[in-house]
Amino acid sequence: MTRLRAALAAASVLLLAACGSGQGSSDASDKGPTSVKVDVIPIIDVAPVYLGNQKGFFAEQQLKLQMVTAQGGAAIVPAVVSGQVDFGFSNYTSLIIARSKGLPLKVVAPGAASTGKQRKDFGGVVVKANSPIKTAKDLVGKRVAVNTLNNINDTTVRASIRAAGGDATNVKFTELAFPDMLAALDKGNVDAVQVVEPFLTTGQKNGGRLVASNYVDTAPDLTIAAYFTSQKTASAKPELVKRFTAAMQKSLQYAQAHPDEVRKVLGTYTKIDPSLTGSLILPAYPAQVNAASVQTLADLAVKDGLIKKAPDVQDLLP
Amino acid sequence: MTAAAPLGRRRSLPAWALGLAGLAALMAVVEIAPRAGLVNERFLPPFSRMISSLADQAGTSGFWGALLETLRGWALGLAIAMAAGVALGLVIGAVPLLRSATAGAIEFLRPIPSVALIPLAVLLYGTQMRATLLLVVYASFWQVLVQVLYGVRDVDPVARETARSYRFRPLTRVRTVLWPTALPYVMTGFRLGAAVALILEITGELVIGSPGLGRQIAVAQTSGAVAAMYALVIVVGVMGVAVNTAARATERRVLRWHPSVRGEVPA
Repeated sequence: MTRLRAALAAASVLLLAACGSGQGSSDASDKGPTSVKVDVIPIIDVAPVYLGNQKGFFAEQQLKLQMVTAQGGAAIVPAVVSGQVDFGFSNYTSLIIARSKGLPLKVVAPGAASTGKQRKDFGGVVVKANSPIKTAKDLVGKRVAVNTLNNINDTTVRASIRAAGGDATNVKFTELAFPDMLAALDKGNVDAVQVVEPFLTTGQKNGGRLVASNYVDTAPDLTIAAYFTSQKTASAKPELVKRFTAAMQKSLQYAQAHPDEVRKVLGTYTKIDPSLTGSLILPAYPAQVNAASVQTLADLAVKDGLIKKAPDVQDLLP
Repeated sequence: MTAAAPLGRRRSLPAWALGLAGLAALMAVVEIAPRAGLVNERFLPPFSRMISSLADQAGTSGFWGALLETLRGWALGLAIAMAAGVALGLVIGAVPLLRSATAGAIEFLRPIPSVALIPLAVLLYGTQMRATLLLVVYASFWQVLVQVLYGVRDVDPVARETARSYRFRPLTRVRTVLWPTALPYVMTGFRLGAAVALILEITGELVIGSPGLGRQIAVAQTSGAVAAMYALVIVVGVMGVAVNTAARATERRVLRWHPSVRGEVPA
């Protein structure tokens, strides 16, 4: 009896395994809309994709979106390059670094941009209420937390300090995840944090003080992030890329024109407190990449030693 | 099936009651510490707020979908690891040549933390469920394999020689000699593997972003929804307890003929 049961158990285990492998390989493409996998980080910046999908802008282009989420660009870039997903979302400095290292990436649409308004941008440097730091210049010699070292946030904070006339080489950057920053600031582990929404609003509601809008200080209407694909996908499926870009353009324009709907769609893919979404500062969702601002980011990447030689920015435009 | 309480502890509370009391104390601490201002309640909300967030989430289909995804990934990963671990373990363990040939490789591969394989998993499978499945299978496979290898080594030489003298066919030998000896070890491997599989399932979802409760935790974290995040952590903790309880129950059932479970003096 025991033996029989053990045999049955073993058989069912094998069966389960068989089911599993069968399921995995059945990504059949139907005759209807093409299935497209988009890998994003579940943050405010990517709201236009969710909103556009809800509005049917992707269906119009015969695209069936399959959203995949990752914790950061570190997981998205390899997934796009290896063809696991069709499109990914990344900040521009990461794309510049990847490009300068020869990774075969192709930008297809802008993602999010700075609002361009001092103190009213979706990202900024926050200090404690009683901190002696008043301006970006006062950050010199201080410990500043950024979410990734040698990336867009520390280069733009340095740009902010330079713009305020400070010595940008003398700042101690510490790497911390956005969700951990306010706690670290509260405990005094760091003197300032570079945060984005929803932490920017949360931080200020709890007594934090905004000292710099680092994206605004870097370049006018800085394009911060973009959607990209691999060059392989771009050359193998140009039609698909064109349709995705068209749907994305429409989604971005719609999102830019309907901030209330953007705030509403946040509830579908983030867990941001609904009482908070009304007061968040949304990024701009431009339909065009600001090429001059990307050039600035590339120059900053070289200046701050992230890369040796800036890639041709033309290669990084949609 | 209640084991006789050990002598000398007869007058104290039963173990489960003590366990519950400990749990209640923990809940009380998590409730009171933030309220008393010992920790900032922005970063560790009181227990009651976590539970109310849990209640909110329990009303959404997203939560149950994520729970199912996690359970599915865990069960599938564990099943594959068990099947592969038991099959390979029996083969490798039964053939001395194979055992010596693979010893080095196993000792090299086994200690590699699954988490270190995340970049490889993402390269191979993107951020899909299969990437996490790879981690789960890798981590729990070694738990099972090594136990099975020990189990096979434990076979009574007299029984083995007897089976050989009677010219049992290989399969009969596995069924009558190897398997009964190895089964307690297999079950230990199952129990260890079940726990490790859950850990890696959640880790994979959290880090890679494959669907499941781990991803929900990550989303709550990036959304600054602290209470929601802790609520999900509590769910994962409860899952861990459930998995362990179920694994122990299975072990007791499968091995009820075995002296270690029967609790009688072995012959």
